[in-house]
Amino acid sequence: MPDQIRLKAFGMLAEKIGTDSLEIENPGSSEALRRQLLQQFPSLQTLTFRMAVDRKIIQAETDISAGQEIALLPPFSGG
Amino acid sequence: MEKVRSPKNIFVQGPILPEKIAQSIANHATKTDIGGHSIFLGQIRADEKPEGKVIAIEYTCYEEMALEKAFEIREEIFAKYPLTCMHIYHSLGEIKVGEICLFVFTSSKHRKAAMQACDELVERIKAELPIWGKEILDSSATQWKVNT
Repeated sequence: MPDQIRLKAFGMLAEKIGTDSLEIENPGSSEALRRQLLQQFPSLQTLTFRMAVDRKIIQAETDISAGQEIALLPPFSGG
Repeated sequence: MEKVRSPKNIFVQGPILPEKIAQSIANHATKTDIGGHSIFLGQIRADEKPEGKVIAIEYTCYEEMALEKAFEIREEIFAKYPLTCMHIYHSLGEIKVGEICLFVFTSSKHRKAAMQACDELVERIKAELPIWGKEILDSSATQWKVNT
């Protein structure tokens, strides 16, 4: 098994990319992942979203290791 | 003895029924050190949008993260205010206009702690829990809700 990560997408973002979960090759860092996603899914360019690594929101560029769960989170609208 | 708390489910499939809220109030009758309760209820509003009128909101969440975060918020609020009890319920799935989608319930010896804690909880739930609402309009269009 190569260096794979699990991506989860939610809300408007899941709608834009057409799925709520996918496995991709690990780009190594959160910024590399963001660049890759914007290239693969140009419709994300107009969206604001944050990322969570293993269920914690990241505030700065973060290394990603194999097996981690990365979530793409559009602005919350609960309540 | 110090009570050890662990994450618990806050999600309810479908609307929060008034009967559940009444039962929850009744459950506190035996806790006689309580002097005040504060309750916030979020209700689905029939907003008028250029594309149509809101008839329901469909809620989804990142459940594992939401429950971890709700637990963290709960512990912080318990540490900050002298509360006796705290309950949080949020709906998932399609909730129609006029139905209740959020129920926050705090209790304490005196009113101020209950009221302030309830207010802070509602603000933090809306800002920090990974929950998303999709508005369903009467034109059968949908659009993602934005919290203000």
